[in-house]
Amino acid sequence: MTTLAHVSGVRGAVSLDALSLSHGSVPAVRGVSFLAAPREVLTLLGPSGCGKTTTLRAIAGLETPQHGRIMIDGRAVYDASCRINLPPEQRGLSMVFQSYAIWPHMTVAENVAFGLRARGVGKARLHESVRRCLDLVGLGALADRPATRLSGGQQQRVALARSIAGDPGVILLDEPLSNLDAQLRLAMRTELRALQRRLGLTAIYVTHDQEEALALSDQVAVMREGTIEQIGTPQEIHASPCSRFVAEFMGVRNVIPCQVIPHGGGVLALLPDGTKLQARGPIPTGPVCVCFRPISVQIRTGPDGGRPAVVSAAAYLGDLMQYELQAGDLSICARSLPRDDLREGATVYWSVPPEACFLVSA
Amino acid sequence: MNLPRAESALAATSSGIVALLVLPPLAAVALAGAGAGFAPIREPGVVANTLLFGVAATAASLAVGGSLALALAPGVPGRATLERLTVMPLYLTPLLTAMGWNWLASPKSGLINLILHAVFGPWATINVISPTGVILVSALAMAPLPFLLISDALRGLDPSLIEAARVHGGSRRLVFCRITAPLLLPAALASALLLGVQTIGMFSVPAVLGLPAGFNVATTEIFQLLENYPPRIADATAWGMLLLAISIALTVAQSALLGRRSFVTITGKTSRPAASKPMAGRARALLAMAYIALATVLPLAALLWAAISLFVPADLKLMQFTSQHFSFVLFGYPKTWLAAGNSLLLGMLTASVVCGLGLAVSWVVLHGRGRGRSILDQLSMTPLSVPAMVFALGLLWVYVRVPLPIYGTILVLLIAYATHYLPFGVRTTNAALRQLHPELEEAARVAGASWSRAIGRITLPLVQPTMLAAWILLFVMAMQEVSSSILLYTSRSIVLSVAVFDLWENGNPSDVAALGFVQLAISFVVVTLVLVIRGRRALT
Repeated sequence: MTTLAHVSGVRGAVSLDALSLSHGSVPAVRGVSFLAAPREVLTLLGPSGCGKTTTLRAIAGLETPQHGRIMIDGRAVYDASCRINLPPEQRGLSMVFQSYAIWPHMTVAENVAFGLRARGVGKARLHESVRRCLDLVGLGALADRPATRLSGGQQQRVALARSIAGDPGVILLDEPLSNLDAQLRLAMRTELRALQRRLGLTAIYVTHDQEEALALSDQVAVMREGTIEQIGTPQEIHASPCSRFVAEFMGVRNVIPCQVIPHGGGVLALLPDGTKLQARGPIPTGPVCVCFRPISVQIRTGPDGGRPAVVSAAAYLGDLMQYELQAGDLSICARSLPRDDLREGATVYWSVPPEACFLVSA
Repeated sequence: MNLPRAESALAATSSGIVALLVLPPLAAVALAGAGAGFAPIREPGVVANTLLFGVAATAASLAVGGSLALALAPGVPGRATLERLTVMPLYLTPLLTAMGWNWLASPKSGLINLILHAVFGPWATINVISPTGVILVSALAMAPLPFLLISDALRGLDPSLIEAARVHGGSRRLVFCRITAPLLLPAALASALLLGVQTIGMFSVPAVLGLPAGFNVATTEIFQLLENYPPRIADATAWGMLLLAISIALTVAQSALLGRRSFVTITGKTSRPAASKPMAGRARALLAMAYIALATVLPLAALLWAAISLFVPADLKLMQFTSQHFSFVLFGYPKTWLAAGNSLLLGMLTASVVCGLGLAVSWVVLHGRGRGRSILDQLSMTPLSVPAMVFALGLLWVYVRVPLPIYGTILVLLIAYATHYLPFGVRTTNAALRQLHPELEEAARVAGASWSRAIGRITLPLVQPTMLAAWILLFVMAMQEVSSSILLYTSRSIVLSVAVFDLWENGNPSDVAALGFVQLAISFVVVTLVLVIRGRRALT
């Protein structure tokens, strides 16, 4: 794309430095810092109320923080110590809203043209840009349609076209796929990623869907109660959650409080019922939990090295089966390809490979 | 379709009553006027005045009410209180606002002018007895209507529509012009229609501030044609037909304008506190306070001042205070207690009838299954777009000719009030019923309750809080009705607002102020009693 000027190396970089924001006396964001490199997708992931949307809105200039600094393209747009606070229209960003925020009194083309007009783009270039953006999202045929006569998926595309029309370096996305049905969500996810790569955009993406976060991001920041609990690549977050919260949020179903005994090169986790599991390091400080994913649990019908348990429930998930195993007070969740020999009530033997077991702080 | 008997009976009865209330007076005005046409209208100046007043007061009121709605955004200090005080003129009545302003700014004895003369000399005069005064005071008195409608529209606006425009490069001003204002246009047009009909049909302010200045409009013309002996009903009806024609034209124009821009405002998440600067918030609060001072506090203070001063002096140093005006209106003026009794009875009856009928109509329109529901809806909303005085003229025609012994009783007034306020009752109950999921009623039916039992045990208790608020507002509004009362009352069926106006024309101005206070006090006491008995607070 020749029109997308990559003027300098910093174009598209976004950094937050100890950003804090409260609504009245309720803290919403507490000391959040991160750096999104140019052309990178950074996802803020977390449950509702964790401060992810507030952080995004603060970057956009829609909410005013009390402390910290926000830099975009190497320029401070908010800096509490220097009393800098640029209004949203001067930050040179664009944003896709959860509700899409398509202006109902305008046509599709007028929606897309708004930002260009606001920034004083000439008529000829404006038409050209609007057409190019609508073509990019596959809505070229609907340019003159009133915005109220669009389906949810089309509205979402208009919102996307509108946000790339101003040729921004940075695009903010607030749960943009959450209002779409499951099939469309998957398709749009792929399309979104392709578009972002193609246009070389830096994207700050907010979602509560861990799968979406993993699929889309270069960096994932898991947020909890206004702070970043862990930040890293999707692989790091998925393979090595740093806390029980992150582990559970990333779909680790087996999180069991335990005691730790150093054992050779690795660690032995001592479960409350006396079961010992071999796990990999490192050992976090303080109380710990041992974690393993359901898919890592190996189930055999014979006792060679495994621990006995009873299949208390079996649920069909399509490609996989999910088995609940009960051994005394200990419940284990396991997933595997459907097997005929694992009926409810059957006694089985389970084990977890040491490399699939890891420790997090409780 | 096989409807349950009770349900179809309700539909038939409510449709019948609404048709009987709305259609005969309108038909009477149209038929009676059709003979002579607009020929009896021989004062083109009055027609011009009516149109000038209608356009100017509508524009001014829309500007004031709209600005207030925009100013009282989330985050403005004391917003809830300011909002409640802003709608006070609805309870105060334009008649008392106009009289209050007469005492404030009549050229010779107005309180403000007395102070201005003392400070700057006799050249500094604000004259409210003038066309401009009529227009501005009407605008102050009616600004709560556009304020309420536009505030509602603002509340329904998805805040991310505005935020999206800011993020995509729009400055505050550009976003207002290109996004906010166009999105508020339907509410503004609806307000303009309502205000247009209300102003051309308004009697009290032009009568108090316009007539002494020779500024005559259609309503004051109708009043004079009927008050003088012999009453010239045919001429008055021609004026009524003119008002009706203007109202119809306004309604047609509004639906034509809205028809082309029919978009539904998308309602999103509840609005977040806007990041407005504290200084801006305080300036906004000050704007609202200025309005409250002009529309409520100053006129009320002037009224009180007039009610307790011995006479209205030309020099403030000669002021003396007395309770003689209050004792006169309470014990000396023969009409006070008769009028108070009539007003109380009418207020309660009107509120009850309109609430009941409104609930029935809304239920039939929303939950019923019969045909013709949209016609019933339209018909019940018609009085909103016809001035009250036109209905009163129609009623005069009908009941003077129809041999029913109700002419000259408060029953005629009740019919006029019920018709005039019916749209209010329908709208309020409609909103209340809309929030009730039909499944609540259906669950009761499935659980074995009959239709009437389901309504009585489920629907009515659930809408009761809204109904109470509607009842109180209807009571207060009916207590103050002037425009149709002034045509329909007789010496036996006089009401308080007419007594106030009567005293205004023929009596001591200070006595009027006292009677105005008595009227307000009665409303206040009844509303307080109702709230205490029902154990609920606040009209929200």
